[in-house]
Amino acid sequence: MDKRTNLNLSGRKHARVIIVGAGPAGIGAAVALARKGVRPVVLIDRVSNVGGIPALCKKKPGAVPTFVSWLHGRALVGEQFVAGLEARLAKTDVEVWLDSLVVEIHAAERRLTVVSRAKGKMDLSADAVVLACGSRERSVAERGWLTGSRPARVFFTKHLFDFIDANDILPMSRAIIVGSDSLAYSAAAKLSVSGAGQSIMLDRRRRPECNVFQRLYFKFWSRPKWHGSIQEVQVKGLGVVEGVKISEKKVLTCDSIVVCGDLLPNTELALLGGLEVRLPSRLLEINSGNRLSSPGWFAAGNIRGGFHGAQWCYLNGRKVARSVLKHLA
Amino acid sequence: MPMQGKILYDWPNAKIEESLILYALDQLGTEPYDVTIVGAGVVGCAIAYNLSQYQLRVLLVDKRYDVGEGTSKGNSAIIATGFDATPGSLESQLVTQASRKWPELAHKLKIPFEQSGALLLAIDDEQEGKLEKIHEEALANGVDDVRLVDAAEAKRLEPNASSKVRGGLLIPRESIADPFTTPVAYAEVAMANGVDILLGVHIVGLQKCKSTVKNLVTESGHRIATRLIVNAAGLGGRDLADLYHGAPFDINPRRGQFLIFDKSCHSIVRRILVPLPTAETKGVLVIPTIFGNLLAGPTAEDLPLGSPEATSTTAEGLRWMLSNASGLCPCLLKQPVIGTYAGERCNCKQGSYLIRYNDGYPGILTIAGIRSTGFTSSITLAEYVTEGLGEQCDLSLDRDPDAVDSRPDSCWPGWWRKPIDDAELVKKNPDYADMVCFCEQISRGEIIDALDSMLKPRTLDALKRRTRVGMGRCQGFECRIRVAKIVSEHCDIPLDNITQKGPGSELVAPAHEAIYG
Ligand SMILES: Cc1cc2nc3c(=O)[nH]c(=O)nc-3n(C[C@H](O)[C@H](O)[C@H](O)COP(=O)(O)OP(=O)(O)OC[C@H]3O[C@@H](n4cnc5c(N)ncnc54)[C@H](O)[C@@H]3O)c2cc1C
Ligand SMILES: Cc1cc2nc3c(=O)[nH]c(=O)nc-3n(C[C@H](O)[C@H](O)[C@H](O)COP(=O)(O)OP(=O)(O)OC[C@H]3O[C@@H](n4cnc5c(N)ncnc54)[C@H](O)[C@@H]3O)c2cc1C
Repeated sequence: MDKRTNLNLSGRKHARVIIVGAGPAGIGAAVALARKGVRPVVLIDRVSNVGGIPALCKKKPGAVPTFVSWLHGRALVGEQFVAGLEARLAKTDVEVWLDSLVVEIHAAERRLTVVSRAKGKMDLSADAVVLACGSRERSVAERGWLTGSRPARVFFTKHLFDFIDANDILPMSRAIIVGSDSLAYSAAAKLSVSGAGQSIMLDRRRRPECNVFQRLYFKFWSRPKWHGSIQEVQVKGLGVVEGVKISEKKVLTCDSIVVCGDLLPNTELALLGGLEVRLPSRLLEINSGNRLSSPGWFAAGNIRGGFHGAQWCYLNGRKVARSVLKHLA
Repeated sequence: MPMQGKILYDWPNAKIEESLILYALDQLGTEPYDVTIVGAGVVGCAIAYNLSQYQLRVLLVDKRYDVGEGTSKGNSAIIATGFDATPGSLESQLVTQASRKWPELAHKLKIPFEQSGALLLAIDDEQEGKLEKIHEEALANGVDDVRLVDAAEAKRLEPNASSKVRGGLLIPRESIADPFTTPVAYAEVAMANGVDILLGVHIVGLQKCKSTVKNLVTESGHRIATRLIVNAAGLGGRDLADLYHGAPFDINPRRGQFLIFDKSCHSIVRRILVPLPTAETKGVLVIPTIFGNLLAGPTAEDLPLGSPEATSTTAEGLRWMLSNASGLCPCLLKQPVIGTYAGERCNCKQGSYLIRYNDGYPGILTIAGIRSTGFTSSITLAEYVTEGLGEQCDLSLDRDPDAVDSRPDSCWPGWWRKPIDDAELVKKNPDYADMVCFCEQISRGEIIDALDSMLKPRTLDALKRRTRVGMGRCQGFECRIRVAKIVSEHCDIPLDNITQKGPGSELVAPAHEAIYG
């Protein structure tokens, strides 16, 4: 099933509003703007489907529902959550550009450079731009307390989606999870239902970052063994991961490491494109009315920093749309 | 042009193409080799390149699954002028000569290279007092284009350098280049000239040492018949020399850790910032890379030979570097670090650049202790030992009139090509607009070109060194699995056989099972 083939980018050079990122936040903003009669609204994403992170989480037997939908009053599997967003999007005339990577932005001119199979490299400008690029998990080096060798099988939580959900492959059977937020617990749950058994969880914190209620929720699927107050985690193994050293005396063996959570906003485009970004936190400078440092630029969803669930991001997208409307008026 | 050489992998259970697998050595012909080079680091590859200019049958072998995967993959990537070498040493001679050859070499071999210049900085009175001596030493090394600068000029040249700067030494020809492309480029030209390459071939034995045609024995039992042997095995050189009872030398890994800063920091410094060396260490440099990042490093920590820690980073080492680097350039404290790595120098107790002809037996050359400058000197070192092999080991050096010394146009041009900027090319092959690595902006088309390139890289790390895929700020968060799938599909290797660096580094643990039916 290759959605690339029915992709049809318009030859447009200018849009009323461009939204970069078709995750929950981008969809929220796009839907709200379209409903208010703004057009054309162009929603751009670099992957072949809308939905962002939740879309990676497939509804399969045993799948762990981790996307809370207040509308349904329950937790859903990511794919189900996205289905609801897609339905809303389908009722609008938002132009969706998939497989299209925004490679550069030019803040002063409100211009974006987009690369796609369909059109090669092209420029697109707008009266307003919403950055809804989401976030990623901080890498080993970025965390500063993970050191050692660089063998195969040091993964991110996202790679579990890529392997297990998208390819039906379980790449590990004894994982060590680094981090302890709700993402870490969802990773442990996913590994457990996929047949990888119980994981070991490590963090610098004394107590897990994930709150008690969420931990209780995840207990249904898994009970990772907890090691807190770790100063430094040294990865061992030359070919593949063989274990981690967590103190002078203690080495835990494993066949893989999953580096979880600790999200970092995807603000590189903004930084290199002339919008104000604080360093080293890489947080966008966000003014009142959700405005970024140049006029006509806005940010929605997890690109704003911190960890927010999908529902929050969707609603935040809608809220930011109101600020965009004010700017357009 | 001569007949192109072959590349084969000794890779048990690999599901790579039949045509790339070593079954028996007669796949490469039955004539003994004139020269076999053990070790395809930057030094071994340069020697293969240089020998390929002559009418010789040459073989290059390495135990790893790509060229340049040992010491040569983790260095500071500086093309040194040799301003700080020990005057009169062989190292000084080879490095200073190489430094002048590099601009042309880089052009011929299509190696990204930039004459960034370097600025040695004194940040207190005591250091300032030492500048004059370093200046004199540079002149004694024949690096006559260096110049002392005062504090004001230093600040003007590098506005982000520490405000404590008291003066400095400007070294205009100190340069940066691509350390990953270099061994590949040497090896590709060598191969175009007929040199054969064996990867995954660990030399563990030697037979018929005394005869003119000796046998090198590989771990899986193949016997390589060869007249001369060049030991360019870097940190594996001691074990190899033991096979032929070479004269004593002691080597150990001297670890050098590095911090990699994000590309957004690139404009912070233009030149390599060099601290004043102390008695213990050469200190922490701040180095712009040819890729657009900044490096801070290295440390210098001696470890025992064979230590698995030799390429491991430590929290202490990383902290130490950050505090030292920020001494030269304070704003680095606020900049995002995207990666870390550790390289292992081949430190030789008996001194650097140990070169012995007819070591142990006639026809064996030992090269050891190419510790800190082998990336730079590789080309002149290769020329130097080629001449030596002619004089000392009776190697007949007749130029091959058909040999090329430039990288053929048919070679994959490299990560810097950016085909996306060529609309015609993209029209012909839309894969060039199918971005896989979002951070470094590398397309599916470029990944496939690299897989099809001469040396047929088949591991994820080899692919990374050629294309930079996954080397960006997200460190493979977005693309790691997609890249593995592209390799799997294009080369018809099952996903669970994809490795990071050859057997024993599979991306998927062997006990895996397909789930959900
Ligand atoms: C691994 C992981 C697991 C998570 N699991 C959960 C969970 O279980 N439950 C939960 O509630 N939350 C989870 N989250 C939090 C998640 O970030 C939010 O749920 C939500 O998806 C954020 O929405 P968003 O729209 O801000 O960003 P995202 O969902 O991240 O969407 C951003 C979109 O922007 C696109 N994009 C980015 N840059 C560009 C560009 N330059 N050009 C084109 N397109 C671009 C991306 O392709 C992506 O589709 C998880 C996050 C991560 C990283
Ligand atoms: C931290 C650091 C910073 C540096 N900075 C610079 C710099 O800025 N500029 C510069 O010019 N130089 C620099 N260097 C030095 C430079 O990297 C080295 O001098 C150079 O890479 C040495 O290359 P080599 O080919 O001798 O060794 P290697 O690259 O180690 O090659 C030896 C090869 O032999 C193979 N091998 C070993 N034993 C066997 C066996 N028995 N059978 C088959 N194969 C075998 C190994 O697999 C390996 O690939 C630096 C080095 C380090 C570590």
